Amino acid sequence: MSGVTYIDAIREAQETLLREDPRVFLYGQDISNFGGAFKATKGLAEAFPNRVFDCPISEDAMIGLAVGAAIEGMRPIIEMQFADFSSIAFNQIVNQAATHYYRTGMPIPITVRLPSGGTPGSGPFHSQSMEGIYAHYPGLVVVTPATVSDAYHMLVDSVKLDDPVIYCEHKFLYRWLKAKSIKGDGLPIGQARIARPGKHATVVTYSAMVHEAVRAADRLQADGWEIEVVDLRSVKPLDLDTILASVARTGRLLALGEAFPWGGVTAEIVAKVTEEGFHLLDAPPQRLNARDTPVPYHPKLWAAHRPTPESICDALRKLLSF
Amino acid sequence: MLITEENAYINEVSHEGDFLRRTFRAMLRARILENKLSSLYKAGKIVGGVYLGKGQEAISATLGASLIQGKDCFAPLIRDQAGRTAFGEPLIDCTRTYLGSVKGPMRGRDGNIHRGRPEMGMPAMISHLGAQVPLIAGMLFAKRLKGTLDGCVGATTVGDGATSTGAFHEGLNMAAVEKLPMVVVVANNQFAYSTPNSRQFACADLVERAAGYGIGGFSVDGTDLIACASVVGEAVRRARAGGGPQMVVAHLLRLGGHGEHDDGSYVPDSAKHDHYGRDCIEVAIQQLVEGGYAIVEEITAWQDEASEEVQRAVAQAQQEPVPDPYREDWSALSTRFPLHAQ
Amino acid sequence: MPTVPILMPQLGESIAEATVIRLGIAVGDTVRTDQEIIEVETNKAVMGVTTLCDGIVSEIKAVEGVSYSVGSLLGLLEVTEEEVTRTGVDTIESIDAKKLAEQEQKPAGEENLHFALDGDSYEENPSIIPSVKGLPVPTGVMGAHYISPRMRARMDDMGLREADISAIVGTGAGGRVTVADLERFLDYLEEWPSVAASPMRMAVADAMRRSWTRPLATVGLPLMLDRVLDHRREQSPKPGLTLYLLRAFALALTEQPMTAGYLIGEKVVHPRSFDIGVAVQVEDGVVVPTVRQVDRKSLSELIAEYDDLVDRARRRRLTENDSKGGIATVTNFGTFGLTTGTPIPLPNETLILGLGAGRKSPVWSDQVEAFIPVTEAQLLLTFDHRVVDGGGAGILLNRVAQLLQHPENL
Repeated sequence: MSGVTYIDAIREAQETLLREDPRVFLYGQDISNFGGAFKATKGLAEAFPNRVFDCPISEDAMIGLAVGAAIEGMRPIIEMQFADFSSIAFNQIVNQAATHYYRTGMPIPITVRLPSGGTPGSGPFHSQSMEGIYAHYPGLVVVTPATVSDAYHMLVDSVKLDDPVIYCEHKFLYRWLKAKSIKGDGLPIGQARIARPGKHATVVTYSAMVHEAVRAADRLQADGWEIEVVDLRSVKPLDLDTILASVARTGRLLALGEAFPWGGVTAEIVAKVTEEGFHLLDAPPQRLNARDTPVPYHPKLWAAHRPTPESICDALRKLLSF
Repeated sequence: MLITEENAYINEVSHEGDFLRRTFRAMLRARILENKLSSLYKAGKIVGGVYLGKGQEAISATLGASLIQGKDCFAPLIRDQAGRTAFGEPLIDCTRTYLGSVKGPMRGRDGNIHRGRPEMGMPAMISHLGAQVPLIAGMLFAKRLKGTLDGCVGATTVGDGATSTGAFHEGLNMAAVEKLPMVVVVANNQFAYSTPNSRQFACADLVERAAGYGIGGFSVDGTDLIACASVVGEAVRRARAGGGPQMVVAHLLRLGGHGEHDDGSYVPDSAKHDHYGRDCIEVAIQQLVEGGYAIVEEITAWQDEASEEVQRAVAQAQQEPVPDPYREDWSALSTRFPLHAQ
Repeated sequence: MPTVPILMPQLGESIAEATVIRLGIAVGDTVRTDQEIIEVETNKAVMGVTTLCDGIVSEIKAVEGVSYSVGSLLGLLEVTEEEVTRTGVDTIESIDAKKLAEQEQKPAGEENLHFALDGDSYEENPSIIPSVKGLPVPTGVMGAHYISPRMRARMDDMGLREADISAIVGTGAGGRVTVADLERFLDYLEEWPSVAASPMRMAVADAMRRSWTRPLATVGLPLMLDRVLDHRREQSPKPGLTLYLLRAFALALTEQPMTAGYLIGEKVVHPRSFDIGVAVQVEDGVVVPTVRQVDRKSLSELIAEYDDLVDRARRRRLTENDSKGGIATVTNFGTFGLTTGTPIPLPNETLILGLGAGRKSPVWSDQVEAFIPVTEAQLLLTFDHRVVDGGGAGILLNRVAQLLQHPENL
């Protein structure tokens, strides 16, 4: 196999971090000799003895332990086997880790890896997108890499940040997304990028939906529409400057996300653009999210639950015809 | 091995008078400080709540006094003023936090017992019970990775209520799996807010749970200073020596409400008149005097000294500035975004 | 005897309130089951509130003309025990007992609240969403008339109004004018000669633009001017022709003051004083001095005041007060040789009376059974259709025409 997949990049980032920073250790379920449910830590336990640990199925205690270790100066990376299970660790993440710097002045440099998003057949409890929930809480950085290079660099950068980072890695991209190599990407966390330039409408999105948006934009190209796609890279902090600059170019906004539709990242984008860029808008900003049901198991239902290039095209046509 | 009340006086150590005197003075300072906090609350000087450790000073202080500040770590909970004081937290940290001084460790951003100094090994508790158990495990785990764990111990306390949480179970199990030198003291004060033991757990003694986790377990009369010193001392020694986590269940009664807003009227008289309803400070005075560890005049002098110290800490905190919302750094992150590409 | 409440019923899914328009009962009246006793009006319909049982009206709380939310107590009935049993209605006593039972289920002592939550409390105040009233107005914003926030921002930047872009053919969605269209149009205009608009022009433009936001309608009738002209010929000094109209208009309005009403929200504001303006053409615009209390002064008494105002208006010597407070305006565009028009009232008024040029016309006379020559002019009235309808405007206009047939009485 030539080239680097998204999950290769995640593995390599951890390898780099373990090699370069003695404060880094990995803690998670089945991540040691087994290499992780998705093999994101394959070979790392052998390469770095006593740095990669299997742990009990105790998501709450995993984050509690990470926070304690961070107080002692370590930089733990916690792998949640699935983002969905981080709900068990919710208290430790949002109340212990996220409040710590504000309360005590001591930042908590932990990185929580959340294998996120849907894949066919994963069903309600192995498909969730939690970024909106964590972004809601003060004191957390929430990143959502969409490219192989970002998967690598943003994980390295996350661990280097002094604050707790929720690193949302998309399971669908793990082996689907490939690059020739990991490119040196100069963009820091907190800065969005233009994934595809255009002038008639802006799609602001992140993670796997970046690729769906680009596919939708390619289709609309045939009709003469030039759609700009903004890849947020991190949902918190939110790079409003790049979003507003894009909306200033196009006058139209579609906020796209794979998470549930009530509230969340897309709602925040629309609210922020409406507050700060109302005068830039030629049409009411639109949102496109998953449906307001649990993520269904059957691939046919799943494909209709999340936004697809077809539904994104429909949403964009509606936006363009306003 | 399970050590119960009957055989609690293990090793028949001639409890060093120094330790008992030091521990008792922490108990006394905590009690006098908390009495002051109560009256400040009733006078409307403290906003939020006041949560006291009255009745739990003996077990709390023996734990704090058994730890070495700068080496060990200690996560106190709601009723651990005595333990905090014994561990070395200055009284002014307490009064500053309760009174909202910007000079306190929490700078008005958090209050009352939600305070700590993580950099000195004493993390600040959150309200969610059981959450500090895995946190202390993590601090110890980090020490192991750093190679500084040898001879260290980490301790935390919970109440009977916290033993029902998932975090307590997860944390204790994880500490056991990782064989960490951790001591968890369960102060069974018979009531979680207003909920009695009968609605909290169904085992005869919470110490039975230790066997389930595969860790050491001790049960002790929490109103008896000498018993506490002995049992906690042993648990800490075992943990320090590499014996893995230890759980100490102390039996006592919360001598008051959940907080000062609560008169605890639901605590039946039978519990108050029970053996565990006695005041550990009074028991300790008797033990010190009868054991020849201290004389009454000395204890009176300690009391006066503590009263003055408390008065000074209150006066100082009250005179200090409170936070200014206009000058507050409203940032929950230490990182200042946007970051710039290197 | 048990007391049964009369409550404002739920009169439709989306109805939160209704206005009592007629009380069909009085205290002491005997009412029968299902009798309509109170007439209420929602924004959808007029309906009757019925009783649920036989009884005697013991108290009426509702007041005609007042809106009540659904569930409000409108009155009380005294009902026999047998009737309560027969119909199963809730009595005040049974409702109170239910409430009491609910209260008893609440914990008694609240003194041990965490964080002293009992100290500060905030009582929710359920508000009634006001019913939509008035003519249905299309709310769709898509299409050629929609101005996006982006377009609006660009227009504000340039000081442009919607009327300014009416000439532009939009190329945007639904034929909308886009910022690019606007820029192209402005570039194109650069090639045309232009001058800066005078302050007077801008003032008139602004007044007309604001006035045009309302649904204005114009009605008219032919007016026989001969009697006015004959009367005027005999006077010295001669009253202006417009002054006759002014006076007749004022007298007609005293009889129909609500016609000059001004709709603000849900209120119609009626005239306080019959002060009427007269439109005077000046260089590059129109000014409208106001003649005060036209209803209280005779034609001859008004001449001097009127002449002075018109003279000062032409010389642009009016003070701010001279043009204030009018309730309607009269314009005599006949002086420009025009026979008809659609006058537009000032934005702060709802009526304008216009007079076209008089022309000799043959009019059939039943009396002499022949066409006779008559000086006829169009008398026009523009009104705010939200306040007045065609019928009301017609009554007013006919009355003005009628009064003008007896100029000696003015």
